[in-house]
Amino acid sequence: MSAAGPSFAGKAAIVGIGQTEFSRHAGRTELQLACEAVTAALGDAGLTPSDVDGLVSYTVDPVEETELVRSVGIEEVAFSSRIPYGGGGSMGVLLHAASAVASGAADVVVAYRAIRARSGATRFGGAKVAPSPTASHAGTTAMQWCMPFGVLTPASWMALNSTRYMYQFGVRSEDIGRAVVQLRAYALTNPAAWGYQRPMTLEDHQASRWIAEPCIHLLDCCQETDGSVAVVITSRERAGDLPQLPVAIGAAAGAGLFEQEIASDHYRGDLSVMEGSVALARRLFGSFGFDRDDIDVAMIYDAFSPILLMQLEALGFCGPGEAKDFIAEGNLGPEGSLPCNTNGGLIGEGYIHGLNLVLEGTRQLRGTAVNQIRNARTVLVTASRTGAILTTR
Amino acid sequence: MCPHCHSLEFEVAPLSGRGSLYSYAILYHPQHPAFDYPLIAALVDLEEGIRLVSNLSGVETADIEIGMELEVGFDPTENGSAVPVFRPVAVDELGGAS
Repeated sequence: MSAAGPSFAGKAAIVGIGQTEFSRHAGRTELQLACEAVTAALGDAGLTPSDVDGLVSYTVDPVEETELVRSVGIEEVAFSSRIPYGGGGSMGVLLHAASAVASGAADVVVAYRAIRARSGATRFGGAKVAPSPTASHAGTTAMQWCMPFGVLTPASWMALNSTRYMYQFGVRSEDIGRAVVQLRAYALTNPAAWGYQRPMTLEDHQASRWIAEPCIHLLDCCQETDGSVAVVITSRERAGDLPQLPVAIGAAAGAGLFEQEIASDHYRGDLSVMEGSVALARRLFGSFGFDRDDIDVAMIYDAFSPILLMQLEALGFCGPGEAKDFIAEGNLGPEGSLPCNTNGGLIGEGYIHGLNLVLEGTRQLRGTAVNQIRNARTVLVTASRTGAILTTR
Repeated sequence: MCPHCHSLEFEVAPLSGRGSLYSYAILYHPQHPAFDYPLIAALVDLEEGIRLVSNLSGVETADIEIGMELEVGFDPTENGSAVPVFRPVAVDELGGAS
C-alpha cells in the first residue's frame, strides 16, 4: 500500500457487502429492499445497526435516510451525503465514505442503492418526457433539449455519442458485440446474474433488434433490474477486528467536467472521447501510487456496451480507437491482461446503478468470486466520472 | 448566467439554419406516441458553432452520412408551435449539377 496521495487514501476499508436477489419484479418497496441489503451487509461485516453513524447514497435513490434509520434501527447519524450524476456517479460513494472515515466525521459508513428499474413506476430504459420527482438534482437540465425530438431514453442519449465514437474510429457493431459476449460468458456461471445459464453468441447479438442504430442492439443494453446492494466501510484499524478480509480503498476520485450531465450532455467538443473518464484516470493514476499495470481486475460501468469500449480508452488501458482490438484479443477475459466485469457486469448480472460492481470487486479481493481471478490483489471500480482502486496489498 | 463573462443579459439572434451532421441515432424502441418510427435523432453542428439535438427529415436512413450538409425546416408540434428539424441541403443549392 502506497502512502501517497490525498490523506484519506488507504485509511478506510470495505468490511461488509450485502444484496437482495436481482429480479424483474421484486414485489416489495425500494425501502424494504434497502433494509434487506443493509442488514445483510452489516451481518457480513460482523456489525450491528448501532455501529453505523454514516450513510451515503445517490440523489436519484428513492430511499430516504430517515426511513432507513427508522427501519433498520440506526441510533445516530453523524454524516450523510448523496452523489449526483446518476450512474456515472455510482462509485462516488467510496470517495465520500473513505473521506468521512479518514477525517473522523464518521466511524462506520453504509453506502446503499435500492432500485426497481424494471417493475417500478419508471423503467430504466423507458421514455422520459418530464423530469421525475426522484431525479431532481440528478444532472439532467439539458434533457429538456432532447425531449422535443424524441430523444427520451438513456439508450438514445448515449447512442448520439456512441455513433460519433464508431464513426471516428471505424468501430463496427460486431466489435462492440465481442465485449458483450465476454460479459455474458462471465454471467453464465453467476447464480445471481440475469444471464446465469443463458448462453449468448455474437450471432445472437447481431440478430437482436435495434434499439438505436448503428450502435445499440437490444443485447447491448444492461438488464433493467429490481434489487438493492449495500457496502459497509470503516477504518482499517477497526477493520482488523472484524471477520472479513479488509478491502482497502486505496484511491478514490471524481471528475465532473464543465457541460457534463448524466447522459444528455451532447455539447462538449469531441464526443468520441469520454473526457470525464480521462480526467478521472488522471486523478486515480496520478498521485495515489497506483499504475494501470497494478490493476488485476477492472469493474467498469456498462449500462450500454459502447461506453465500455470508450471507457477502456479514456482510462488509458488502450489507445484511442484501440478498444475493439483490445477486446478482440481477449484481454477482458479471465486469462486476459484486464479481466473485466467478472460478474457479467450490468449487462450480464443486472443494473443496480453500478454499485453491484463494487460488491464483485470486493469478492474478487476476498477470493470469493464465482469467476475468481487468481491472485487478484488490486481492483479498479469505475463509472464514467467516479472511481476507486480497491486493494489488499 | 453566461459561464464565460457572467453576463445576465441575453438576446434573440437569427441564425443561418445551416449546419452539418455531427452524429445521429436511428431510434426504434421504446416508441412514444408523439413520434413516428424509426425516428432519426441527430446532433447538428450549426455554422455559427452551436450544436443542437434535433431530428432529420427528408432522408432515407441508408443515406445518412456524418458530415452531410443540412438546413433547417420547422415541423409543427403540439399547441401550434414548431420545432427545428433538419434535412439534407439539395445538391443544386450546393452549386453542383442539378
